[in-house]
Parts: sequence; structure tokens; C-alpha cells
Amino acid sequence: MKAQAPTVASAAPANRAPFDAGRLAYLTLNGLLLLFLLAPIAIVLIFALNPTPYISFPPVGVSLRWFQKFFATPEFTNALTLSLWIAGCVLVLSVVIGGACALALARGNLPGRGWLTAFFMSPLMLPAILTGLALFQSFLLSGVGRPVWGLILAHTLVAVPYVIRTTLAVLHNFDHRIEEAAAVLGASPVRVFFEVTLPLIRPGVFAGGVFAFIVSFDQFPVSLFLVVPKGETLPVVLFNYMKFDLDGAIAAASMVSILLALSVVLVLERLIGLKAYVKL
Amino acid sequence: MISRRTALRIGAGVAAAGALGAPAILHAQTKTLKITTWGGKWGEIMKATVLPAFEKEFKCTVQADQAFPYVPKLQASPKNDPLYDVLHTNSNEQWNCVVEGLVMDRITPKEVPNVADVYPYAVSDKIVGVSIFTSAIGLGYRTDKGLAKPTSWKDLADPKLAGVRGSYIIPVNSLGQCHLMMLGKIYGKGLQDLDAAYKALEQLKPIKLVDFTGQMEKLLLSGEVSEAVIHDSGIYRYDGQNQPIDFASPSEGVMALEQVLNVTPGSKVKELAFAYIDYMLRPDVQKLLAEGVWYSPSNKKVKLGPKYDEKLLTTEAKVATLIQPDWKWYNARKEDIDARVTKILKG
Repeated sequence: MKAQAPTVASAAPANRAPFDAGRLAYLTLNGLLLLFLLAPIAIVLIFALNPTPYISFPPVGVSLRWFQKFFATPEFTNALTLSLWIAGCVLVLSVVIGGACALALARGNLPGRGWLTAFFMSPLMLPAILTGLALFQSFLLSGVGRPVWGLILAHTLVAVPYVIRTTLAVLHNFDHRIEEAAAVLGASPVRVFFEVTLPLIRPGVFAGGVFAFIVSFDQFPVSLFLVVPKGETLPVVLFNYMKFDLDGAIAAASMVSILLALSVVLVLERLIGLKAYVKL
Repeated sequence: MISRRTALRIGAGVAAAGALGAPAILHAQTKTLKITTWGGKWGEIMKATVLPAFEKEFKCTVQADQAFPYVPKLQASPKNDPLYDVLHTNSNEQWNCVVEGLVMDRITPKEVPNVADVYPYAVSDKIVGVSIFTSAIGLGYRTDKGLAKPTSWKDLADPKLAGVRGSYIIPVNSLGQCHLMMLGKIYGKGLQDLDAAYKALEQLKPIKLVDFTGQMEKLLLSGEVSEAVIHDSGIYRYDGQNQPIDFASPSEGVMALEQVLNVTPGSKVKELAFAYIDYMLRPDVQKLLAEGVWYSPSNKKVKLGPKYDEKLLTTEAKVATLIQPDWKWYNARKEDIDARVTKILKG
């Protein structure tokens, strides 16, 4: 029997992966999801670079005039500085309070643990505008007015649950035997915490810190009632600006906010390696 | 040598004098006027010129809040120590406040002498407090789209404008609310003929709706809408910038968009609050702001430059074209109206 010479057509399928409809659907879905998440940012960027004195599409050119306006307007730059400062304070406070709460909750021997978890998470359940209004009234009735520390506390209130959540996620896989081993070897509780516990939960705590920073930096509903004249945060200033002037400065401000938030995430990733948390 | 009894007497005397003198000293040190004011160009002029001059003349500090929402914040603050001494809002919100006892109902020349010089509309029975400026709500239109200058509110219903006519989200914008009442007047028995207004509103679909007048200005500038409900200053402020937009006052009359100042009854610096309103009604201050933002001044004695005088409401005859809505009536029905118009315009 004469062997049939293989044709080009019959040899090709041996090197080609079979058509996988599931994988194609998976990639398409991922692509659509990315588009959904990134398209608004792309649109904001287009508006920020469009030189027309109004937001329009398609753009007629590329200009940095709105970025120049943003950085040349004291209301914007002062608000940006204040927002960054508040977000920095909130990050520190949230990490300390949220981390401590998560540790207490995760130990498992705390009475009313379920209730306490619900209590700490409750700021996420309430509409933020009501939290802001309630705090506004509390501050006024107690005679303290609307101090900047009140705004920091208010932001911390809504940011702490994020730190608790991310830290609890890390603690869920935490091996307590490592702490016990350190203690058996003679380490004091304080040393165990700083040299064993903290390094292990650090990715979760700092991931929560990043959330806290961003939640505070972008916080609008809670700030709305608590800001004072000449002490407005960036989102509040942008909202008020939009009522009278809807130009590219708003888009430029948004781009600056996005880039700042991204910078914080990248810096923290470089410093503490947030990827470790993502892999959990 | 001072005896113990003498020392106690001197001490008590000093303490009593301090206690008696303290309020005056405190007043002098912390005389702060808390006001609300707009942002944008108005805010720029206020912060750069008007407020510093007032602070210097009256030796006080003005704390000007530009962060909305003013009324909920005022509502949430104690009535005997309100968040603001002077509330600057549009008339519809002032009426809400007076019903709740948050602001005074009338301001007379006795408290604010310059009130004697304002046009009657500024202190009419449709106003609580005093209107320091007004805009005329009419129709803004593109001059490059081949449209004839609108002469009637009915022109907005022209089928050619389907999808390129503009108005406001009625529950949140008083211009939209004014437009609704005007529809009642044009197509029905009067400003309060809501059935006729709803029917006319239905006929205006498709229509582009926005929250703020600033957004409408941009829609007109970008050409996304060709004709829209807007106040005159929203168009005139682009004067000299070579923009293809203009303002038309419909023959049926223009609605008043008043800038109203009022004093909160619980204010601790009421005299200063009245002085501020009086200051805002001074002819020089009125002229500065009117020409800065194209608002029509309330003070009859103000003499504007020719180009402003030509376009703004600066005579008794021009002011007579203003229609002032009954906001007390409207606010009492607002929830029902909001529900109805939302149903009509949704989607």
C-alpha cells in the first residue's frame, strides 16, 4: 500500500491550537470590561486636552490650557493641597484604627464579635450624605463648629471599614502558630506584634490604607456639609465650579486627581509590594 | 500693705469689670459676618473687590460660603445660632426658608436705607427679603443655525427644534420651574394652570435637560442645543467673545430670576447683616457687579454703561416686563409637580 504524502492542509492543524470558543468569550468579556472601566478616563483626558471653552466632542485640537488654568487658580490648588493633606491624615488614622479593629475581630475570642463587625462596617451601609449631615448637626450642636479635624474624623469614619475588610482578608489565612513560636522562643507580645504579626498582615493593612486615601481624596457627600469657606476640598470645589463654569478645567482637575491616586498606588506598591496582597 | 479683704475686693472688682467688658471686647475682636454667595465670575468680583472693601469699611470679617447646598445647611444649624447671617439665594429657596422661620419675611428702609431706592419688584409681595439684582429668563438661541429670533415662548415648540431645544431638570432648577409656570400662562389660563403646562411640556419632547444654567450656556456654545430657556446674563456674559448666540425676550414677558438677600432671625450680628445688604444696594457696588456679570440692578439710581443699559432691565418700562412667580404657591405643590414632570420627561 502506497503511503499517501501529507498535504499542507492536513499538516497545519497539528501546529495550531484548536479553536476555543470559551477562551475567546473570556478574552472578549475581559476586553469589554477593561473598555468599560477605562473609557470614562479616556473621555475625561480628551476633554482635558480639548482647547474649546466648553466640553465637546469630537475635539478640535490639543492644548494644555485647562491644566494651566487649574494650576493657576488658587481655589483649585488650595483645595488640592487640603484634600491631599486630609487624605494623608485619614490614611494614617484608618490604618491604625482599622488594623487594630481587624486584629481584635480576627482573634475570635472577642464577645459580640458579629455585632462589632456589623458596627464597624455600618458606615458603608448608611448613605454617606446622611453621615455628613448627622456629623454636621452633631458638630454644630456641640459647639465645635466645622473644624478641619472634624472633616478628617468624618472621612476616617467612612474609610476605616475598608482597612478592616482588607486586613481581615489577610488575617483569614494567618497562621497563628508563627506568633506562638515567636512567643515560645522568648519574644515579648510587643516584639511578636512588630516583628511577626505586622509584617505578615502589612499587605492587607496598606491595601486598606490605599483605599482609605482614595476614599478620602474623592469624598464628596460627607464633605459637602463639613467644609468651611476657604477650606473646601477638591471635589466640593469642582462641584461648585461646575454650577457656573463647565469648561475643561473640570476635566483637567479630574485627570490630576486620577494621576495622584495612581501615583499613591504605585508608590505604595514600590514601597511595600501590594502584589503580595493581590496574590492572596 | 493691702489687707486680705481689700485684695478680695479689688479682685472681685477686676473680675466684674472683665465680665462686663468681655462681650464688647469679644464683639470687637470676632465680628464676623457669615454669608452665602455665588461662585463663578460673581464670586471672583466679590472676593477680589466687594468683600474686602466691606470688611475694611465695617472693620469686620466676612466668611463667604460658596459651597452648596445652603438651605439644608441652614436648616440643620440651630435657629438661635444659624450658620449664616445673610442668606443669598434665588427667590424660590427664600420662600422655603421663610415658611420654616429661617429668614425674615420683610426688609424695610428702616433696617436697610437703600431699599427705598429699589424698583417695586425687588420688595414686592412675591419677594421675601430684598432682591438686589434680577436676570430675565427668556430664550437663548444660536444665530448661525438659520433660526429667526424667537418672539414668543411658543417658538420653542417649533418642530424644527426637536432634540436641539433645551430646558432644565424641573425638580432641581428654578429656571425649569419658571418655564413650567410660563407654559401654563402661554397655553392655559395662567401661571398656575398646571394641567395646561403639563400638556405643553409633553409637546416639547424630545428636549435636552440640564441641572445648571452653566451647563446650558455650554450646550448653546457647543451647538448641542439651538434654542433654550436661559437667563439673559447667561448669554450676555459672552458679549465681545464672537460667539454665535443671542438672547430673546418673548413678547409674553420674561420671568424674573431674582438674587435675593435676607437676614436670619437668630443672627448675632443683625446690624452688620443689614449693613451688608445696604452696602450691596449701593449704586457703585450695584454697577460693579451688574457690569461684571450682566445682572439687572435693583437700585433705580444706578447708571450703567451704554451697552449694559441697552440690554439690561434698567428702566421702569423694562422692569414692567418681568413676571414674578408665586413661589409660595409653587413650593406648596412641589412634590406633586416633581412627580408629574419626572413622569412626563423621563427618558
